[in-house]
Amino acid sequence: MLTMKKKTIVQLIAWAVALAAVLIVFKSSNVYIQSIMNMLMYNIVLVLGLNFITGLTGQMNLGTVGMLALGAYTYGILTVTAGWNPWVALFAMFAVGFAVGRLLGYPSLRLKGFYLSLTTIGFGEIIRLLATNIEPLTGGTMGFGNIKRLSTWFYTSQAKSDYFYLLLAFAVAAIVIANRIVNSKWGRAFKAVRDNPEAAEASGINISRLKIQAFTLAAIYAAFGGAMYAGYNTYLNPSGFTLEYSQNYVAMLMIGGIGTVPGCIIGATIVTILPEMLRKFADYYWIMFCTVCIVMAILVPDGLWPLIKKLFARLSNSAQKRKAKVA
Amino acid sequence: MFANLNLMQFVVTGIAMGFIYSLVATEYTLIYNATGLVNFAHESFIVLGAYLFGGTFVRALGLPFWLAILLTIVCMAVFGIIVSMIVLNPLRNLQFITYAMFGTMMLSRILTEVARLAWGPIPFAVPGFLRSSIKIGSTFMPSSYIYIIAVSIVIVTGLQVFFKMTKMGKAMICVSQNKDAAALMGINVTRSINMTVAISAVLCGIIGILATPLFNISTGMAASAALKGFCAGVIGGFGSYPGAIIGGILIGLLEQFGTLLFPTVYKDVVAFAVMILFLLIRPSGIIKAKKA
Repeated sequence: MLTMKKKTIVQLIAWAVALAAVLIVFKSSNVYIQSIMNMLMYNIVLVLGLNFITGLTGQMNLGTVGMLALGAYTYGILTVTAGWNPWVALFAMFAVGFAVGRLLGYPSLRLKGFYLSLTTIGFGEIIRLLATNIEPLTGGTMGFGNIKRLSTWFYTSQAKSDYFYLLLAFAVAAIVIANRIVNSKWGRAFKAVRDNPEAAEASGINISRLKIQAFTLAAIYAAFGGAMYAGYNTYLNPSGFTLEYSQNYVAMLMIGGIGTVPGCIIGATIVTILPEMLRKFADYYWIMFCTVCIVMAILVPDGLWPLIKKLFARLSNSAQKRKAKVA
Repeated sequence: MFANLNLMQFVVTGIAMGFIYSLVATEYTLIYNATGLVNFAHESFIVLGAYLFGGTFVRALGLPFWLAILLTIVCMAVFGIIVSMIVLNPLRNLQFITYAMFGTMMLSRILTEVARLAWGPIPFAVPGFLRSSIKIGSTFMPSSYIYIIAVSIVIVTGLQVFFKMTKMGKAMICVSQNKDAAALMGINVTRSINMTVAISAVLCGIIGILATPLFNISTGMAASAALKGFCAGVIGGFGSYPGAIIGGILIGLLEQFGTLLFPTVYKDVVAFAVMILFLLIRPSGIIKAKKA
């Protein structure tokens, strides 16, 4: 058995190796793969946000794209139209997150299951329609361009390839924070609300407050993801922000393993990369991807991470048994 | 300002569109009552029906309309049973409803892709199908509207009779109320659900056929109707059949009259705004479902 301290050291080494691997892959790959990796970074942030509300608290949210779009447009409008410093504009994401969290959190107190998912779909659609139709502010269907990127001491050029390091830093920060929250008392309270609201309430958990908090967390993460998206693409168009997008984030959550941080990362990676790998099937790539998703939903509803964990446990168990036999 | 507007025209258009939404909402209600799932694949069921009718039976095989309609209905029934056996029944037994929703979303994407691959990405129309129109006074009345309203009324009363009078229909209601108790009374729950899904697939096929004169046949033709059907169901009271009808017509009318007050581009927002309002003020809808 590993002691607690050894376990954290092993985990840290694993994270460091993973990070180094990501950097090496990024440095040695072409522009196409680099752009996919950039997408992966903001997808990870978004799915970690969704995890708070759908994964931990069990409230189906199909409005991720609305939160994303709101964050992206706020960032764009503040940096271009209002001429703010991008770093200052980033702080506005907290405000967006709080506003959206309250806006969607309150209905979630009254609505359960699919009623809530409908409301969130409606939210996403309304945001998309507003972005399309408030032309003076958002540029309408022509899109919103020339969005400024963040600049730092190690990166001042506006080159697309260097921007990855910043996105990676954001993603790592998002992962660390999400990990702390999931494994805290707070995270366990979220899970209690999902698994048995009556029992949670009986143990003194304020369900209404927790649900709103979960929505707010999700919205802040999504708004930050939106700012990353806007900063990376430097161009926004409302036609891209469809329900399909929100469904993809749920797919990431489901495939990776709902409620866990490593699961989110695995899911985001698979859903971002798998369709690209299937591109060689040309017309059939999307149908294949969806078939994979539906088969997994039926056969492995808990996602891949629990399976991987079980596999590791079995491996280390058999290794220990072998050791015991030798001794 | 409104003096020279023909209000009758708004009412007619609103009611016809409203009945389409009502049918969509009725179909959601069917599957929801039978399995406790919300069918997100609904939109692609409608698209599939329209493509089968317009793409295969009328355009490719050149069959007369009545035969094409009949064949579409048969095909959709078979398709519904298959989907129910392969996807909806396994999903129904999962732990969280989120998994099941996810499954139907993916099913929807697969069906849309199948339609695109099988019939091509270019939208098309069915020439000569319900294209004529009558003029009553100054009101312009396309014959498709008359058919939509007539067929909807027939379907809705037919469903009511089926659920109230026949043994099979009563069994379905039992299953929707309490699956365990129904199983204990000797009702085959899985078969009953298969039947319900088959009926709803047929309904989708009919919606698809009725919608062909209004929209061109394309993979996105039912997107807004499907979402507004959701809204109609919620406004009317999810789980209640009369509620679905009232909700649908209400949305159809509000949408038409909304264009008098707001710019036309916000026409699609009306349904959502009304739904969110209802969810906040009266989540059970106009007619509360009696279901336990």
